[in-house]
Amino acid sequence: MRLMRRDVLLTTGMSALAVLGGGPAVFAQGATPSPSVPAVDPDLMRFMDISHCLTDRTALNAAIGAALYAGIVQATPQRRGQIQALYDLKARERLITASELAKAAEKADKTLKDAVHDIMIAWYRGVAGGKVVVYRSALMFDITKDAIYPKTYAAGGPFYWTTKPPEVARPTGLPALSPSPFVVEPT
Amino acid sequence: MPSDQNLSADVVIVGSGVAGSSIANELARAGISVIVLEAGPRVDRQHFVENFRNLENKPSYQGPFPSTPWAPHPPNQRSPNKYLHTSGPDAEAYQQAYLRVMGGTTWHWAGCAWRYLPSDFELKTRYGQGRDWALKYDDLEPFYYQAEVMMGVCGPDPGVEDLGSPRKQPYPMEALPLSYAGQEFRKLIAEKTPWRIVHEPQARNTRPYDGRPTCEGHNNCMPICPIGAMYNGSYSVYHAEAAGATFIPNAVVYKIERDAANKKVVAVHYYDPDKGSHRVSGKYFVIAAHCIETAKLMLLSADEQSPNGVANSSGHVGRNMMDHTGVQVTFISGDKALWPGRGPLETNVIDNFRDGDWRNERGAYLVHMVDDNQVDFATQLAIAKGFVGRELEEQIRYLASHTVRLFSHNEALPDPENRLTLSTTEKDALGIPHPQVYYKLPQYTVRSCDHTRSVFRQLIHLMHGTDEEWTPGYFPQDHPAGSTIMGVDPKDSVVDGHCRTHDHENLFIASSSVFSTVGTGNITLTVAAIALRVADTLKKELLHG
Amino acid sequence: MADSKYLVGSILLGSALLSGLFTEQAYAEDAQQAALMARGAYLATAGDCVACHTRPGGKPFAGGLEIATPKGVVVSTNITPDPQNGIGTYTQEDFEKALRRGLRKDGAYLYPVMPYVSYAGLTDQDVKALYTWFMHGVQPVADKPPETQMAFPGNIRMSMMAWNMLAESEKPETGDSATYDKLRRGRYLATALEHCGTCHTPRNFMLVEQQDQYLAGSQLNGWFAPNITSSSTGGIGDWSEDDLVAYLKTGHAKGRSQAAGPMGEAVEHSTSHLTEADLHALAAFIKQVPAHDDAVEHQARDSFGQAAVEPDLRSGVVNRVDNQPDYSGAELYDANCAACHGVNGAGTADQYVPSLFANSVVGAGRSDNLIMTILEGVNRSTPSGHASMPAFGAHSDVQRLSDRDVARLVNYLTDRFGSGDHHVTAEQVGAARPRPSTPATPSDATKPVSAHAP
Repeated sequence: MRLMRRDVLLTTGMSALAVLGGGPAVFAQGATPSPSVPAVDPDLMRFMDISHCLTDRTALNAAIGAALYAGIVQATPQRRGQIQALYDLKARERLITASELAKAAEKADKTLKDAVHDIMIAWYRGVAGGKVVVYRSALMFDITKDAIYPKTYAAGGPFYWTTKPPEVARPTGLPALSPSPFVVEPT
Repeated sequence: MPSDQNLSADVVIVGSGVAGSSIANELARAGISVIVLEAGPRVDRQHFVENFRNLENKPSYQGPFPSTPWAPHPPNQRSPNKYLHTSGPDAEAYQQAYLRVMGGTTWHWAGCAWRYLPSDFELKTRYGQGRDWALKYDDLEPFYYQAEVMMGVCGPDPGVEDLGSPRKQPYPMEALPLSYAGQEFRKLIAEKTPWRIVHEPQARNTRPYDGRPTCEGHNNCMPICPIGAMYNGSYSVYHAEAAGATFIPNAVVYKIERDAANKKVVAVHYYDPDKGSHRVSGKYFVIAAHCIETAKLMLLSADEQSPNGVANSSGHVGRNMMDHTGVQVTFISGDKALWPGRGPLETNVIDNFRDGDWRNERGAYLVHMVDDNQVDFATQLAIAKGFVGRELEEQIRYLASHTVRLFSHNEALPDPENRLTLSTTEKDALGIPHPQVYYKLPQYTVRSCDHTRSVFRQLIHLMHGTDEEWTPGYFPQDHPAGSTIMGVDPKDSVVDGHCRTHDHENLFIASSSVFSTVGTGNITLTVAAIALRVADTLKKELLHG
Repeated sequence: MADSKYLVGSILLGSALLSGLFTEQAYAEDAQQAALMARGAYLATAGDCVACHTRPGGKPFAGGLEIATPKGVVVSTNITPDPQNGIGTYTQEDFEKALRRGLRKDGAYLYPVMPYVSYAGLTDQDVKALYTWFMHGVQPVADKPPETQMAFPGNIRMSMMAWNMLAESEKPETGDSATYDKLRRGRYLATALEHCGTCHTPRNFMLVEQQDQYLAGSQLNGWFAPNITSSSTGGIGDWSEDDLVAYLKTGHAKGRSQAAGPMGEAVEHSTSHLTEADLHALAAFIKQVPAHDDAVEHQARDSFGQAAVEPDLRSGVVNRVDNQPDYSGAELYDANCAACHGVNGAGTADQYVPSLFANSVVGAGRSDNLIMTILEGVNRSTPSGHASMPAFGAHSDVQRLSDRDVARLVNYLTDRFGSGDHHVTAEQVGAARPRPSTPATPSDATKPVSAHAP
């Protein structure tokens, strides 16, 4: 059952779109790369919709989304229903921004906060169900790419690091969700 | 390989890390026959690079190296861990990480290539603490240089930045330029404190060297340099093999056999992964199997002749366990964006606390501002704080550019009560007992760590830091030392000044396990230097003896 | 090895540019003599004598380099002024015969690996300058390289007489070569000195350069010296004169190609030390060499490919240290190449690490140079800097790739960034691997296991 990564990585990543919901093993079966999203899976469609909302982004990579969704629901099956709930909440209350949806979700049902966390971790860290789905293509590197490279993928050449990186203004935005514990673990 | 085959060489070495492989290379080049027995398998860089990228917990330096059942190594530094069992009041401070693979633990080091200070070798004489080594800095100086050339070490011009360890030759390569974060930190330290930042000497290429490329700042020295710009022991394995040395992977040595008089070692015995046993005889033997495994093997070889273990008439095998126990704090700077993580991991050091009269009462230490990419950390922190969407992205950029992490290497002292023994309950797949260590931090080290905390608090204040997170307790720096301690008196030490065991005239130990004190700089260059000195001794005895 | 190359480079450069160096020596007392010496040194650099007449790690011009030819290995000779082992007893006439006619002092014929058919084009004045420099500017070395043992068509040197009748030599140029106009100077540099045709012109079965296909490309020890005629499909018709100058000067023309292997050495030892005027002259001449279309290349080699943009979808599986996965070409690229050449193949912004698309080595229809670059790496020092890519062959410290892995990687690279999957096989890679060189073979003295009976 173990996924053979050579069947997935880079070349056939798009194939993840073809099949959904069965966990990582499905990737190996989809052999034909497909450039467009088959708009057939309503679960995936809802996941992408709330992902756009929770990232405040209009463009997200559909192939990555499909793989993230598969990883999330495989690790935690109740996420499927929670994503449905988030989708319904967003539609019902006509929520537009990530903050609006996240606030409303936690207010409506405390357990939805975990689903929002999972979706944030998936898109921004590239991790779903505790496993790496994408590394360098995670959004956290997209939003910092003017300053820094993902480890092992530095493309600046020797001594690029001596130059001055961009200044970053102190953010003024507020958190939408209640804080959660975060511990720096020894390695 | 059939179990009954007799293998033999002039010199048999246990362990293929920086110590074992560099000795093998020197001897083979001199025409001496060498067999090196490595418990772990042959490995490839590309495999570890991909493992790293597939690893969820990126800061786990052991993570990309899941071990084999026959040569287990610690899976992580968490307590309890499944291999190196620790106990005692400071058990969590001795969760060492190391690798059992061809080439050894330098597959994941940061390349920091410090020489010890002359005072580190005479702590007892100068400060009345710990012990003196049975050798002096000057004995090691030529071998330090040989090790620097072998590894390819870059470092500052001693005329401009004297690191306190006298040099007869300049560093083989020019110092690595500091990152913007390092430059800003250096300015702050110079302007606002009585201390200084120095360029850390590093086994890292600042120009193409030995067929390997210039560092390109992938910021991944640990756990795996993706391009080979940093030295690791596998290069010395390759060089030794090209010179004619034989390396046998997956060869788990479990017994050291002596002659009837118990004066000379005649063979070592190893298991293959299927537990087939093999005997390897030789004229000289070198145990170079990392501080933990070296002591484990000596104890494991106990028999009627040596009921306490080989080379252990002093009872000091497995005692005097030391490390650079560290203090670590992470905080958010209130000053301008530093964006740590551009360039190699560890490049700048505050070296003012490496030596001083105060060493009569508290341990020395050095301070790194670790230049680690904080994007993943920032993302996890910002999500935990409750941010989503656009606000989350702003937070990630801010936190990743303003997170500062400081850590220290604090000096331990050799205390015989800090002791490695064999587990009576836990065994590996071959039935070999796991190592276990009792550890209580010396008060000397505790006082040193207290001093470090006060310095860190001053630095946090200077950088207008907030959200400080102190890593709980004391954490290990993976620099274990002392388990087969060096000394002039056979009654309280295991090896002499040439790393020859007091008990067995043809048995040498090349490892940080012989260190009599642990100083402050990372231990690897000193391990390499003493190993090259062992090679020099062996060459003299085999070729001219 | 790198050190010795650097040393050679410094000596050449030093003697070419700093003629003052010689004023301290007893011989070069007057300015005229010094000028002649400087001219000789520069010509020796332009003729790249050192490339063949120095073995790796050896003293400059002391010979001993093994040069593989389709007919066997030729060992280069000592051309230092040592009287016993070198050319110390050569008169200027002896020197001229060897240089322009392939005749040794003892009357024996030289093997045509020595490009005397090219050097035949040298002017008398330049022969004299070269002679003067070799006799007085080169350190004598008392080393005797081993004699060449080869089965040349007829393995006796006498058969070279017949070969020489087949081979067409350059006609000696006349006058002062320093005063030629640009194209004439360029031609002189290309033919009589740099001997570009020695590698880039195909040879017939008798190893004679086929002058009707001048610079149309030829095999070279696993490498392929490509078609550099002005053909816009098979050659380098799309390169500007400045592109060529940049390439010859630094070994790298951005977005076009970079030099490795034998061409890397030619750039390192020779062309990177030419004057700006000579570089332009040489480039201008090459640009007007008649176009020859190519049997394999049908589109400019540097015109293929674009940045890759796929996300890095992964398994998240971390494999045990001894469980090395069977990597695909894409994974091999990710694991071994992407760290420097970038996830998209674009290299670094300044092209210190070159882009893999718009790159002749990847875009070429022949995979030879791509395979050899992966196996042997790049190590090219010029006054503009040190270009270095680690080898991935059998002696690499960074990563040793199997024949199968190299084949998969090459096919991925040509498919993704070049003209399409080349379907290179592991066997082809195995055949291209350099034969084990001397240092890799341990001597009997160091054979370990059976050295001692227990």
